[in-house]
Formats: sequence, structure tokens, C-alpha cells
Amino acid sequence: MAENKPKPRPIIRLGLFLISHSLLVSVVCCTAGVLALLLLPVLGKNTYISENALMPGSARPMLSNDDVYEGERFVNQILSFNTMSTGMEIPNMMAEHIMDLGGEVNHHKFLPQFNKFHPLHFFLGPDTGTVPENYSCLSYGVNTVGITRAPRGDGKEAIVLVTPYNSLKITRGEALSLGIAYALFSLLSRVTWLSKDIIWLAADSRHGEYTGVAAWLRDYHTASSGDLKHSETCAASNFPELKRMHNGFQHAGTMAAALVIKVADRSTEFEKDALTIYAEASNGQMPNLDLINIVNYLAVHGQGYRVKVEKIWSLLNAWWLKSLGHFIEMLGKLAGSLNPQWNFGIPVSEYVECTATLASSLYNQALGVPTGPHGAFRDYQVDAITMEISPKFSSSLNSRQYETLLQVGRLIEGVVRSVNNLLEKFHQSFFLYLLTSPNRFVSVGVYMIAFALLVAPLPLVAASLFSDATKSNPNTEEDKPASKPASTDQSALTFTSWKWLYAAKQVLIVHLWSAIVTLLPYFVDQIPDYSPTTKLSIWIVLSIITLLFLDSFSRSSFSSTSRSRDTEWTLLKSVTVAAAFIGLCLMSVINFATAEIGALILVPMCLTAVPMRLDDKVNTLRALIRGACNIIFIFIGFPPTVYFMLKGALDGFDNMRFGDFWNWAESLWAWNSATYIYMCMVHLPCWVLCIQTLRHRC
Amino acid sequence: MEEKTRNKINEKKLGFWKWAIASVIFRLILIYFPKNLNLSSRPEVSTPVTSLRRRNYSLYKYIHMYVAEGYWLKQLSMSPYAGSMYHGSPLLLSVLGPLTAIKIEGQPNHLLCSLVSVLADFICALLIRAIGRILQTAHGQNLKSLGLDTMLEDIEILPSGDIAALVYLWNPFTIFTCVGYNTSPVENLFAVLSLYGASSGIVPLAAFGWVIASHLSLYPVVLVIPAILLLGYCPDMPPRKLFLQRNLQKTGDERSTKSHVQHRPLTNKPAEATFFWWRVILFFLWASIWIAYVLILSAISVKEYGGLPEMFKRTYGFILTVKDLSPNIGVLWYFFAEVFDFFRNFFLIVFHVNILFMILPLAIRLNHRPCFLAFVYLAISSMLKSYPSVGDSALYLGLMALFVNELAEMQFSFFLFCGYVGVSLLSPVMHNLWIWRGTGNANFYFATAMAYACFQIVLVVESVSAMLNHDRKIRKLCTITKG
Repeated sequence: MAENKPKPRPIIRLGLFLISHSLLVSVVCCTAGVLALLLLPVLGKNTYISENALMPGSARPMLSNDDVYEGERFVNQILSFNTMSTGMEIPNMMAEHIMDLGGEVNHHKFLPQFNKFHPLHFFLGPDTGTVPENYSCLSYGVNTVGITRAPRGDGKEAIVLVTPYNSLKITRGEALSLGIAYALFSLLSRVTWLSKDIIWLAADSRHGEYTGVAAWLRDYHTASSGDLKHSETCAASNFPELKRMHNGFQHAGTMAAALVIKVADRSTEFEKDALTIYAEASNGQMPNLDLINIVNYLAVHGQGYRVKVEKIWSLLNAWWLKSLGHFIEMLGKLAGSLNPQWNFGIPVSEYVECTATLASSLYNQALGVPTGPHGAFRDYQVDAITMEISPKFSSSLNSRQYETLLQVGRLIEGVVRSVNNLLEKFHQSFFLYLLTSPNRFVSVGVYMIAFALLVAPLPLVAASLFSDATKSNPNTEEDKPASKPASTDQSALTFTSWKWLYAAKQVLIVHLWSAIVTLLPYFVDQIPDYSPTTKLSIWIVLSIITLLFLDSFSRSSFSSTSRSRDTEWTLLKSVTVAAAFIGLCLMSVINFATAEIGALILVPMCLTAVPMRLDDKVNTLRALIRGACNIIFIFIGFPPTVYFMLKGALDGFDNMRFGDFWNWAESLWAWNSATYIYMCMVHLPCWVLCIQTLRHRC
Repeated sequence: MEEKTRNKINEKKLGFWKWAIASVIFRLILIYFPKNLNLSSRPEVSTPVTSLRRRNYSLYKYIHMYVAEGYWLKQLSMSPYAGSMYHGSPLLLSVLGPLTAIKIEGQPNHLLCSLVSVLADFICALLIRAIGRILQTAHGQNLKSLGLDTMLEDIEILPSGDIAALVYLWNPFTIFTCVGYNTSPVENLFAVLSLYGASSGIVPLAAFGWVIASHLSLYPVVLVIPAILLLGYCPDMPPRKLFLQRNLQKTGDERSTKSHVQHRPLTNKPAEATFFWWRVILFFLWASIWIAYVLILSAISVKEYGGLPEMFKRTYGFILTVKDLSPNIGVLWYFFAEVFDFFRNFFLIVFHVNILFMILPLAIRLNHRPCFLAFVYLAISSMLKSYPSVGDSALYLGLMALFVNELAEMQFSFFLFCGYVGVSLLSPVMHNLWIWRGTGNANFYFATAMAYACFQIVLVVESVSAMLNHDRKIRKLCTITKG
């Protein structure tokens, strides 16, 4: 035993085996990863209420007819305002009503925030924000905040109800949502069971629904009094404050949950009233699943709503999805006939529907842009969702006003009552999940498998390329005529194990370039009066110039010594693949959906890249296919191409313009989406490095 | 060969100054954007012991540490340790304290302290470069006395001092530490100073560096062994047995008839093989002088606030008993947050003895390479210390680059590089997930800390084995030339 060369441990042998068969392993893993992604709708589980304290639907709704009448009168009063010159009529009326109910009230004034470029905002947490100078008094938005104190609470926790409305031009739906909130508020100011304060935020949406909520939240958490101090000069003339009203900023406790209530003006085509839940916050963050669960549970079982989440409609009619659904159904039936316990198949229609929902969930999370005002809450670790109610027929919105108020009021009362029971923050259920339907979800443990399979080949291929490069080196050195007998022995001293440093330097420079590209739009955006197309062109041209400049700089400052050119590209590819792996893993922690979609594009591109000249020399069918694949992947991998193809698949290829990409990128960085950083600092450099590998002379 | 290396060094020299000054300018630029980077609040950069001012806006309020706070407490004639905020040396307080308070008109108020950090980093790099020079000349001499110099003529030898200094200066860890407004650069400077003093044979300087470094952050106390070895023998060289064999052979050739090999004249023997006891004794003498000096100064400055026992309790006691359990990149905080109080003392002893256990075996195995030994000690202590920061890694990575020629065949270098990059990117993200977004928990962050510790272990193991392989190779060459 001692004479033999000691065998390495089984785990090392397994690793060596995998590395030596990296091509097969990578093909198998990538295919399995894509298949696992397509199987996710089947693997989704039914939701369940995880936190016992919630006890949804355990109490009879207390919202009485009187409350609803009050709400209806409130709605009519709002709608009776014909002209709104200052936008203060509704806030003042609301303040009066809230004070009549015995609640505390204050107005919160805010200014719209401008698109600011904070590439690292994501890591630093919320900031206090700055107020631009030179603002006319009329452009202030005014939120009305009503607070009712809990008779049984200690004032340390609160539940927030948000009703966005446009104070300059209110629609019927917005008025209805205000009415619902008012009816509820009048009930909640009387009840004895309340142990958390209720905050009713009537958010002014004249600068967009998100802005008002975000501004109020920012001031709530930084304990500043809002933009009031900036408006002092014009406060006297434009905002006649009510005498009884509290002047300062009213606070309640930390927020346990927030519900954004909206009533849609358009109707659904279904025969039931529908409730659409929007949950995606910035950077793919989701509220705790329990919040969605209780809303879903109470809406379906309590009020008989049809609950929906967003889906991608164009996928519903896709033929390939249907045939895949047929196949999976057949497979499920087959498995079920073999063993009844393996009954995993789901009907075709359900599969297609689940896939469309899952795709929308993935897309919205990957975009990293919140789907509604609830997104602002998630930045402060508050779980929040938007509930949009669409009544059956639009014409009957008027006649069914009472019914809608009662139903929605009772639904929200139930949710508030459940959340009121909570003893701790939402923590029991999932934060990381994808929805496949309102009552089915895929948890992180399941969807991670698809991603892990997809990226697993990357470290293997990097290791195998690296070992190839280091192994082939001594052979080339031995070819040289050895002047002294010891020199072959000593030639290993020429840093064979550090050869990758040259490749690492090249990768580092490209990543440095990508950081510059990330920051360029900030400067391009300073140039006024240019169309998006021009700005995009400037961005691209500047990027290319900096790349060429950095490239020549690196060539001149680090003169390359005589290195064997065949190993050079393997090392370069190895380092590229390793960088892609690190970037994808990092992104999967920040925003899983982006990493998943990114991996679908990036992994095949990185794995297939081989110098074109190498393929030219061989000239076999395999080399031809590989070369074609390379070109296709590189073409698809260019970020604007990805964008236009996705957009085309979603909305059709009509009326697409070149400048759209600029607008899209601008919206990403305006929302501080990590997807923008991923696109510029992981995807783009890997794409450039793949091109460099392809162009490599050998 | 020496001429060739000298030429190379001269060639590189221009490059060195260019890059060194560029790094200083880069730091100065970064200092002007502290708010955007907010590095001083990152747990990877600042620890309770090293932070000059640690701000945390997090929901989980950690204890805030201020050197500035310690200074103000002192100004108010209270004990600087009163608020359980300050855990550094009173001497550092009297030097850096005023700097935290002085404000220059129109400049950020941390400017002076940051400039001290930049200066410390720069001097540290220069010292590392000097150590590298000394090591390189010693290396050349040793090879000559082994008779290998003619053989190795065609082999490129890199100017390790320049490389190490540049690695130290341009290491992102060093830059973040320097800009991150804490005392790590100063502590690193004194550790390197003691190594420089020892390797160049300036005994008082070595003793001074060692005493101050240990006084500031306790862990460099293990550097006493490399310092003794450096002073006693000389800078790093191949195993001494080889020299003995060589001499044996030489004397054997000269007087083949006689067999009094053990009574060889001293002139034939290379000077390095003797152990200079007098220098070691001198070192201890100087060290005790410096210790007395430091203690007296400390005693004077904390006289009214409980005297030296209080100081020891609040500085070394704080380090040894791991009182502050706020997250950092080490592994101790999590462990001691979880462990039952009942077992706490036991595990404290276990963890600290862990460092001490490794000292003796390593000293025996690597006694012919004291500088490398110092690198290994620093790496191990930065892995197991109670409040590690990336500043410690910056120091040992810089020292590791001194041995580029010896570690040329180190394995897993690429793997380690990727690991370090990955962990240092993942760690802030995990921290963000835990503290800001609330979707992760402490385990997420601790996982990166464990991965980091693993990579450090792999680094130490691989570098030591590469060094031993290098020695083996030299031995093989010796036997070849003999035959």
C-alpha cells in the first residue's frame, strides 16, 4: 500500500472525473437547467398560511351598513368637487372628516424626486434625499395622513392603508378607494380589538403614485418634517391650514404591513369581481408570502373574488408551450398509472397559465422596478402589496358602488384584523419565491435547482481549461533545446502556476472598462435636448473609444513576453468563465430572477467561445457548428439585442425604435435597479471577453 | 546574475515610484468621497478595536466606537474607557485624538486622520521594499555559497521587494482600510517596522516596532519568534543543513586525509549558520526598555482613570474575552453569540490556544526562513483573531508577495484568487441582505466569513508547502552539483 502512489480521496477523484469530462457534464447540466426551469410550474406547491397567529377569517366582519353609507356619502362629496384649482380641496375635506372621527391628521407636502443616478444606492440603504431648488408652490404634492390610535396597543406598531389619488383630477375609481378607506377608518376608530395603530395615507399621485408614498416613507423614517421647511414662503398663501389640525409630522409605531387599495376604472371580462395582487418591489424583493396568502384566502373564501396575479398574455397562445404541456400531462398520467403516488401531472391549460404567470413573475422581479406604490415600503423592510379591485361591469360601477364598498371594506377589515393579531414581524413564511398562480408558489429551494444546474458547468470548465493550460506548458518548454542538464528541471521556476495573471489582467481591464461604461450615462444625461437615439449612440461610441484606449494602454504598459499563444486563449477563457461564475452567483443573491435570465444567455455564450482561427484550421462539421453557435450566441448576447428581442416577444416588433433601449436603461438606473449594474458590469464585460477569445490569434 | 538582477531592479525602479505615487494619489482622491463610499461603517473594514469612528445606521444598533469619543471623554477629564466605546491604547489616543478634532476650514473633518493613514501605508510599503532588498541580497549570497549561482544564471528573478510593496499599495484591501478611517494602517506599519528592524539588524528598531505593535493590537506579540530568528541567524535562506553539507564537502576536498570535520575553521563556514546570542539578548534588553517606557507613558496618561490595570482590562481584556459580538469577517462573533455562557470561558481558551498551538511546530519547521514564518504567523492570527478586518489580510498578502520567487510554483493560486474576489464581493451583499433587506439572516453573512476563513487556511497551507518544496528543490540541485 505504501509503495503505490496514494490514491486521492473519493471526493477529489470525483472532482477530477467531472473536470476531465467537462464537455459532457456542461451539456447535460445546461439542458437539465433549462428543463428544470420549464418544470417549475409543475413543481409549485399550494400556498398555506404559515403563521398561526394570523387566524384569517376567524371573526365575523364588523363593517356595518352605516359605515358603508358614510363611505358612500364621502365618495359623492369628493366627486362633487368639479374644479380643483389648488388641489387642496380634497385634503382639507378629508382632514375635517378624519378629525370628526376622532383621529389625528396632518398634511405632508413633498416635491417630486428627480431621476438621480446612484449606482451604489442599492448597497448603502435609503438616504435622506435632497430637495431641488427653484420650485413653484403649486408643484407640491400633499399627502393626507390620518392616524387612529389603538385602544389596546402601546403605540409601537402600526398598519398602513394607502389610497393613491390624483388631487388635481380625481377619477371615479380613486374616489371609490378613498371611500373604502374612509368607511374602514370610521369603523377602526371605534373598535376595541385594535392593538396596532392604523395609518391611513391618502397619497397624492400627481407626480406618480410611487413618489408620494416614497416621500412620506422617507420622512417618516428619517424623522424629518418633510419638505415643509422649503415651502414656508408659500405656505401662508396657498395652504390655508385648518386651525384644529396638528402642524407637525405625525408618527405611529413601526409598520407591520401596508396595503395599497386601488379600484380600477375598467372592468373585467369575467363574471366575478376580480382582485389583482401586485407584489414585486424594487430589485425583485417580495413581501412575505403570508401577506399574499391571507389576502388570497379572505378574498376567495370570504368575499368570493376571483384573485389574479399578472401574467404574460402572449404566452397563453404559444404552440410550443401547449405541446410541452401536453407532453408533461402525458408523462404525469403515465407516472400516475405506474404508481398513484407520483401524481405530478397537471392539465395543459393549468400548465400554460402557470407558466405565463411564472414568466411574468420572473420578468417583473428581474426588471427590478416596483410594480406599484407598495414597492416603496419594501425598502424599509415593511411588507406591502397593492390590491387592485376591478368590478364586473364598468357601466354598473355607479349602481354597485354600495356593494363594492361593502365587499372590499370587509375584505380589508379581515386582513387588518389578521395582521393585528401578529405578535412579531412577518417572518414565518417565505420571502424568496416566485408565484405561479395566486395560490401556488415556487420556493427558493426549488427554483435554485434550475439556476444551480445552469451555472454548475462554469467552475468545471474553468478548472478544466486551467489545468489544460498549465499541463501543456512543460511540454512546450521541453521542446526548446536545453543548454544545461539542470535547466529543464529548473525551467519550472518561470512561474507556470502564475501564468493566469496575464489573463487576469486582461479581464480586470475589461471590467474596469465596464465600470466606466456603467457611469457614462450619468454624463451623457447631462447633455440636454437630445433624443434617446442620439444619447444611445453617444453612449455606444464613447464606450468603444474607452475600450480601444484602455486596450492600447494595457498593451503598451505591460509588454507581453514570448508566451505560447495556444495556452493564452485557454487561460483567458478560463478567467472569463470564472468571472462570469462569480458575477452570476453574486447576482443570484441580489436578484435571483435577473441571474436566472442572465445565465440563460451568458452561460452558453461563455462555454462555447473558442478562437475562430482554431475552427478555421480544423474545418470539420463540428468546428463549423461550433463557429455558427459562437456567432449566434454573441449576436444574441449583446444587451440591446436581448432587450429588443424580449420586447418583440412581449409586445410585437411594430413601432420599435432604436432609442427605446436608452429609455429602458434610464428607467432602470432611475429606479436603482441592480439589473442595470448586472447588465453593465457582469454581462457586458463577459460578452466583450468572449469576442476577444473569438478574435484571438493562434 | 547579481548584475542582471540589479539591472532589472533599476529598470523596475522607475516603474515602482510611478505606481507608488499613483497609488497615493488614488487614495487622496478616494478620501474626498468618503460619504459616497461610506467605508468606515462597513464591518469588513472597521472593527471595534481599529475603528476611528464607526457609524452604523442599521436597525440593529451596534455599539458605536469612537476614537473621537475616547478623545472627548478624555477632554472632559473622564476615563477614555468610560463609555465602553474606546478600546485602544491611551498613547494612540493622545496622538490621533487631537487629529480627529481639528477641522480645517472647507475640508472634510476626517482629513488629517486619513492623511496619517496614507502616510503610514506609504512608509509601510517602503519598508516592505527594503525588506525585499535585504532578502534578495541574502538570497544571492546564499546561492553563491552553495555554489548554485552559476547554474541559476538564466533564470529570471523578480525584484520581490518592489513587487511586494506594489502589491501592498495596490491591494484593494489596503486601499479600503486606508480610506476606511481606522487605525489598521498604523498597526500594520509597526508590525512591518519590527520585521524591517530585525532583518536589517537594527536591534532597537526591531524591539521598538515589536513593542508598539503588540501594544496597539496584541496579536503581533507572536512576531517575537521571527524577530529572534532574524536577529540570531540572518534573513531567509535555504535549510542550514545544506550549508553544513556543503562545507563538509569542501573541507573534505581540502583535507581528504584528515577527518576533523567538526573542527573546521570558522572562516570556511558561512556566517549565517551561527546564532548570535548577543543580538537576541540585546533585543530583549531593548524590548524591556521600550516596554517600560510605553507602560510609564500609559500609566501617566490613564493615571486618574484607574491606572494600568484598567487599561489592560479595557484593551487586551476586550480583545481576549470577545466582548463585542457585532458581525465582522471573523468566525468568533457568531460562535460566541451562540455558545452558552456556561461554556464561554472554555471556548475562549480553546480559540486563543489555537493560535499558540501552531507557533512552536511552525517555528521548528521554518526556522531557516524567519520572514516567511512571520507571514505565516500573521496569516494565522488574522484568521483566528477576535476582531479581524481586511487590513490584516492586506498586511499578510503584502508580505506574501516578498516570496514571489520561492512561491512560483504555488498550487491553487487561481482558485485562491477567485475565492478572495468572490468572498470580498459576496460579503457586503450578504450583509445588505441581512441588515437592510431583512430577507436573509445572520447565517448568510456568517457563511461568507467561514468561506473566507477556509480560503485563508488553503492559502497558508499551500504557501507553506510551496516553500518546503522550494527548499527540497534546492537540496536536489545541491546533490546534483555535488555529483
